[in-house]
Amino acid sequence: MAKVKVKLFGVYRMDTHTPELELEAEKLGGVFDALHETLGGRTESGLRFKDAVIYVNGESCRKKSTALADGDEIWLLSPASGG
Amino acid sequence: MEPYNGYMGRVLFVDLTNRTHRLFPWTDRDRKRTLGGKVMAADILLQHIRPGMQAFDEDNWIVVTTGPLTGCGCPNSSRFNISTVSPLTGIVTSSNCGGDFGLWLKRAGYDAVIFTGKSKSPVTVSIRRDDVVFTDASKLWGLTTTETQEKLPKRTGKLVIGPAGEHRVLYACVFSNERTAGRGGVGAVFGDKKLKAVTAFGTAMPTVRDREKLRKTNEKWVKILQKHPLTGRQLPKLGTAGLIAPMQAHKILATKNFSAGRFDGFEKISGEELAEHHLVSNAACTTCAIRCARMCRVDGKVVKGPELEILGLLGANILNDDIEKIIRWNYVLDELGMDSISAAGTVAFAMELAEKGVRDFGLAFGKTDNIEEMFRKIAYREGDGDILADGSRKMSERFGGADYAINAKGMELAAYTPRHAVGHGLGYATANRGGCHLNAGYLVVVEGLGLDVDSLTPHGKAALAIMFQNLMEAVSAGGECLFTSYAVLPGFLIDKPNWPLTKAILAAFPYLGPVINILSHFPQLPAINIPLLPESYAIKYATGIPSTMGRMLTWGAYGYNAERMANVILGQKADADQLPARLTDEPQDPRDPRTKVPLNKMKRVYNRARGWKDGIPTWTRLKTLGVKIDREVYKEAVKEAYR
Repeated sequence: MAKVKVKLFGVYRMDTHTPELELEAEKLGGVFDALHETLGGRTESGLRFKDAVIYVNGESCRKKSTALADGDEIWLLSPASGG
Repeated sequence: MEPYNGYMGRVLFVDLTNRTHRLFPWTDRDRKRTLGGKVMAADILLQHIRPGMQAFDEDNWIVVTTGPLTGCGCPNSSRFNISTVSPLTGIVTSSNCGGDFGLWLKRAGYDAVIFTGKSKSPVTVSIRRDDVVFTDASKLWGLTTTETQEKLPKRTGKLVIGPAGEHRVLYACVFSNERTAGRGGVGAVFGDKKLKAVTAFGTAMPTVRDREKLRKTNEKWVKILQKHPLTGRQLPKLGTAGLIAPMQAHKILATKNFSAGRFDGFEKISGEELAEHHLVSNAACTTCAIRCARMCRVDGKVVKGPELEILGLLGANILNDDIEKIIRWNYVLDELGMDSISAAGTVAFAMELAEKGVRDFGLAFGKTDNIEEMFRKIAYREGDGDILADGSRKMSERFGGADYAINAKGMELAAYTPRHAVGHGLGYATANRGGCHLNAGYLVVVEGLGLDVDSLTPHGKAALAIMFQNLMEAVSAGGECLFTSYAVLPGFLIDKPNWPLTKAILAAFPYLGPVINILSHFPQLPAINIPLLPESYAIKYATGIPSTMGRMLTWGAYGYNAERMANVILGQKADADQLPARLTDEPQDPRDPRTKVPLNKMKRVYNRARGWKDGIPTWTRLKTLGVKIDREVYKEAVKEAYR
């Protein structure tokens, strides 16, 4: 299991009141299981793999099977819009 | 023909030189052709402007227009438009505002008001149903935008300028409540005409063609907006400021005068930071169902908080991560009456000139202690502020640095750097009023911020840019907030970015170009209404004008072509749709040659699809759309454009 830092942005952060947390996961898909375990009911806004815009170490990533390493930083963003 | 509803049926013409007024002829035929708002204003200006007309000429008109949906109970429908020859760009600017002046203007019995001439002394114009009163504004001259509005009668619609407008800062703006018609220097034209304030009052209301159907449409419309992931969740919770993080992720957050697309300190200036630590409450324009505006505290007062643009441009773009300073600067700029986008872009350019040793204005990237002082100097044109008050293009003409003076047609770009969103770059270059993200068609929404269409491919981008430019032009002409047009993007495409179906649809997007091009060239073809765009239903039920999705696109195409032709008559040259070389010639990521805007390649497709040659509408195109212009005037303007 890799120790990774997860940062939440947008609606995810506002709904869970959680800017960031450290988790252990082997693959990217596992991050969401760990998130639900840690945040419990606070993930009701739909923190699911299929819904999230995901970046690993600053690069877009869309594969659940992506292997993670210690120190990886994962950004989870809710859909955005305009300004 | 039964007269159209939704409109008040009168346009006011005010001569500030002679302090007279009369009605301006505007018929139902004109209404059907232009709908209203910025398209109506473009049409009026096209008939009036002459080659070589300058912003500060006495006969430059300020055209303030509303749309037919304003006052008809539709959500997000309080928007009004101000168009004039811009002192910043030298061409037409159209500036949109969410304040309540438009509603009050209609209550006073007018769809629009045109100002011409120049007053010899500061003046306030008060518009009533049967009277127009000119009063001395000497005691208001010198006051800030809030102070000025506080001195005017309560329960009236107000348009005011601040010190920046009085001193003809080329990007001064006009305020109505705390909202602003910000771009292109309309405030400077007010100031040049000594027009300090306009008020409107009345009790009239527009009639509508089918009240029951309009009421049902409005109810559905509010539900669509409140259910949609963008207008129902993201914007109310985070405001436009919520884009900072996605822009960072997509490498489009303008950083250090657009030399990069990511900023290490982005979290400190983000919408999340604003919401968690600085937000007092949400706010909204009158009639708004989204409520994206933020209220914050400055010096113990609750004031309008910063939008995305200023967070980016006075944050990442000048290497500042102090959000409290940005909140304060935003307030100062509003009080002085200056466009925050152009002010910030000009300051960033001055910083780079200093860094390169060209000219030291006392400004430097990351140095924030003298920014507020510089804004005041700009507003009053004191010292170096007098130079910065003319914007980045004129500064580059004087000091050099055109390659990194980040403007298009003289208007500073918004906070999205386009080298990782190339279609958005095409939009910036082709936008009629200059470097505006909204007039550009706002392709960045499909190139990463809402949908995840390949942001580096030029394929299909010209077609998408034209379609969104036309659509947003029409939405604006109706009197609606442009954010309502986001609902046209199906929610599941935004909400489920990793679904296989979403991925397949988004992968196909760039190849839809030929189909979209056909729609753009023959916008009357889609003679249908689509549920996700209730505007077209609302226009039909409010006014009685036959309205469909295709009709909306036609109004948009008409407005875009009329405004472009007005620009050509004013002196816009052939192939003027350009971007600074930093964005077109230098890859943002040196390891990836695709990370620059392939402008010429996209422009070839764009011009062909628009029916333009070198950025100039062909005579055939204008006639197809029914744009009114004299053949000889057209020929002479085109000849001049190539001279």
